[in-house]
Amino acid sequence: MHFLFNFDNTHLSTYHSEGHSGQYYTLPPTHIQKLFPYGLPPRFQLQIKTFNEGCVMVRPPALELISYLKRADYSKPPLRYVLYGDIGTGKTMSLCHALHYCYSQGWLIVHVPDAHLWVKNCKELLPSSSRPSRFDQPIQASQWLKNFKITNERFLSKLKTTQRYVWTKRESTEKGQPLGELIDQGVNRMKSSSDVVGAVLRELRLQAGGATEGEGAFKLAVAVDGVNALWGKTSLKKEDRTMPEELTLIHNLRKMMKNNWSGGAILTALSQTGSVFKPRSAYLPSELLGEEGFDNMEPFVPVSVSNYNEKEFESCYLYYLDRNWLQHPHSRSEEGKKELIFLSNKNPSILERLCAFL
Amino acid sequence: MAASVTRPALSSLCKINSNINGIYSLTSFSRRISISSVLSTSAVTTETEAAGRGVRGQRRSKRQAGEPRTERMTVDQDWTAVYPTAASFKPSAVPLPVRMGYPVKRGVPPAKKGNLELIKIPNFLHLTPVAIKKHCEALKQFCTEWPSALDSDEKCVKHFPIQVQSKEFVSAGLSLRNPDVRIVTLKVKLSSLNLDDHARKKMIKLSEERYCKDTDTLTITTDSCPLRQQNYDYAMYLLTVLYHESWKTEAWEQEKTRADMEEYEWEDSPSQKKVLDTLLRMRALGAKDEVEEGTREELLGQPAVQEYRDTMLRLKNEGETEENLQQYKEAVKKLFNI
Repeated sequence: MHFLFNFDNTHLSTYHSEGHSGQYYTLPPTHIQKLFPYGLPPRFQLQIKTFNEGCVMVRPPALELISYLKRADYSKPPLRYVLYGDIGTGKTMSLCHALHYCYSQGWLIVHVPDAHLWVKNCKELLPSSSRPSRFDQPIQASQWLKNFKITNERFLSKLKTTQRYVWTKRESTEKGQPLGELIDQGVNRMKSSSDVVGAVLRELRLQAGGATEGEGAFKLAVAVDGVNALWGKTSLKKEDRTMPEELTLIHNLRKMMKNNWSGGAILTALSQTGSVFKPRSAYLPSELLGEEGFDNMEPFVPVSVSNYNEKEFESCYLYYLDRNWLQHPHSRSEEGKKELIFLSNKNPSILERLCAFL
Repeated sequence: MAASVTRPALSSLCKINSNINGIYSLTSFSRRISISSVLSTSAVTTETEAAGRGVRGQRRSKRQAGEPRTERMTVDQDWTAVYPTAASFKPSAVPLPVRMGYPVKRGVPPAKKGNLELIKIPNFLHLTPVAIKKHCEALKQFCTEWPSALDSDEKCVKHFPIQVQSKEFVSAGLSLRNPDVRIVTLKVKLSSLNLDDHARKKMIKLSEERYCKDTDTLTITTDSCPLRQQNYDYAMYLLTVLYHESWKTEAWEQEKTRADMEEYEWEDSPSQKKVLDTLLRMRALGAKDEVEEGTREELLGQPAVQEYRDTMLRLKNEGETEENLQQYKEAVKKLFNI
C-alpha cells in the first residue's frame, strides 16, 4: 500500500503538514553533519550509516511542535515545550525533527543532546576558578563548545560580546570581540571551558531577538534532551567522596531554561533512560522533573509522544522492506507482520531492535 | 500348658460377662469362649515367640483398609456431620479430587491420598454456609432483638458514629485467659465530628497514620493497659484530647510553611508569580514598566489565568494523569494565545 509511505524529498520541513503524517523524509547529509554531530540517538546514527541516508518519519508530535513554532510570537518571552512519553516512543527523534526545522529556518541552535551526560560518569571534576563552591567539568564543556561551533559557524563571526570576561590573570576577552574567539578560548583552555559555556549562553540570551531587524537579529532555539537531569540528583562525587553542591554547567543551563529573555523557543524532551535514581515506569512530567523542576519549567506546553499508530507502523514496516532490512522470508508475510505488531506493541525502538535481527 | 492357661481364663471370662451384660445367650457365650480361646492362644504364641517372629508378627496383625467413606457419600448428605468441628484434612472423608504440592518434572501435583501438604494447612471444611446457619440458629436463643428504628446503615452511623471493636476468645487449655482480649479498636468518621477547617487539618496532622483519607476514618487502637475496660477508657480519652487540642491554635502554628500545607494553594505560589511575571513581560514589551496593583488584579482575573489556575490545582492535588496534562496544555495554549 504504497500511498502510505513515500520518500518525501521535500526536506524543507516548512512544508510538512498534517497530510504528511506517516511519511518519511530525508535529512540532507550536510545538515546531519553540521546539526547533529552528537544529537541523534545512537541507534539511529547506526541506521544512517547502514542505509547511507537518514530518513525520519513525520509524526504528529513533531508536526504539533513545528506548528507552534510557526505561530508563536517572537517578540514575547520564549515558550517552553516539553516532549514526554514512555520509553522508546520517539521523543528524541521528534525533538531532532523540530530542531531541523529551526535550522532550516536559519535559527541559532543551542543543542544539549543529553543533559544526563553532565550529571554522571564525568571523569574530571575541578573546583571552579570563578566561584569557590562550584564545580567544573572541563571535558564535557569543551566537547559541547566544539559541537556548538560546528553547528553555528555562520553566526560566530557576526555576534559580538557585550562585556569583558576575565579568565585568568593573563587572559581575558575584551568587549566587542566576535563570539568565535570566545569559543576558541574555551576549547583551547580546558580549565575555564565551563565558564566560557556560561558566558556564551549569557551572550546569546542578551542578544537573541535582536533590537533591530538588521544584521544582528536571529532567533534562538534552545534544545535540551533529558531536561529532567537538571533538577535531579547527580551521581558525581568529589575526591573526598562527598556530593558537589553545584555544577557550573548545570547552573548555567538552568538559567537558560528561564523565560526572562525573548526571541526564541525552548524545546525540551524528558528522558528516563539515562536518568539517575528514577524508576523505569516514570514518564509523566512531574514524576521525572520533580517538584523543583516542574516549578522551574512551568508554564510549559506538554506534548505527548506515543507509540506508532496503524498507519505509522505500516509506513515503518514498508520502509524496512524497501531498504531490504527485513531479510527473513517470514517477515514479509501477513503473519510475520502481525507477529511484529504483537511483539513490539508498535513501540518504535522495540520494533527497530526486533527488525535488526531479521 | 495351653489348657492350664485357658481354664482360669474361662472362669474369669464367665465372671466378667455375667457382671457386665446379662443379654448374652448361651450360644453367643460359647462362641465367645471359643473365639477368646483362639485369641488367647494366638496372643500367647505371639508373646512367647515375638523375639523370633519380629516384623512378620506385626504385619500379620494389620487389618486391611476398607473402601473410603467418600464412596458411600450421597450428593445431598449432611456435610456438618462429616466435619462438625475443625479437623485436619482426611482424604478418605473429603470427596473432592484435590491435588496439592510441587510437581516432579513433567508430572502433576500429587493426589490427595497420603498428602502431607493438605494435612499441614488449615482448612475451613467445618465452616460451610450450612454449618454457619446452624451455628446462628443455635445462638439465636441467646440474642436480643435488633432495635427496629435502626433499619439502615446510614441511621446506624448517624446515631452511633463511634464504633468500638474488641475480640473475645474461647479456648480450652491450661488457662482460659487470652492476652489479646485487652485490645480495643475505636473507629470514628471525622465528618461526624464538629470540626472547622483548621481543626480538621490539625487533627489529621496529629493522628498521622491513624487517619485514612479514602474512608475519612480515624482508627485508634489501644493495648497498653492490661484490662479491656481500661483500654476502652484510654481510647475515649485519646479521642477527647485530640478533639480539644485540634480546636486550640498555638502560637507557633503561625510559622506554617508551604511545605507543611496539605493541599496545593495557588495564591502566593511560585507558579502564580511566574505566570504574572510572564504576562507582565509580554505586556511590558510594548507598554510601560510600572506594575500597579490594579494591573496585577486585572491580569489574575482574566479567564485564561483562572483556567490555568484550575488546571494547576487539579494537577498538583489529584496527581498527574494524561487528561490532567491535556487540560493543562489547553490552558497554557490559551494563556499564550497559540
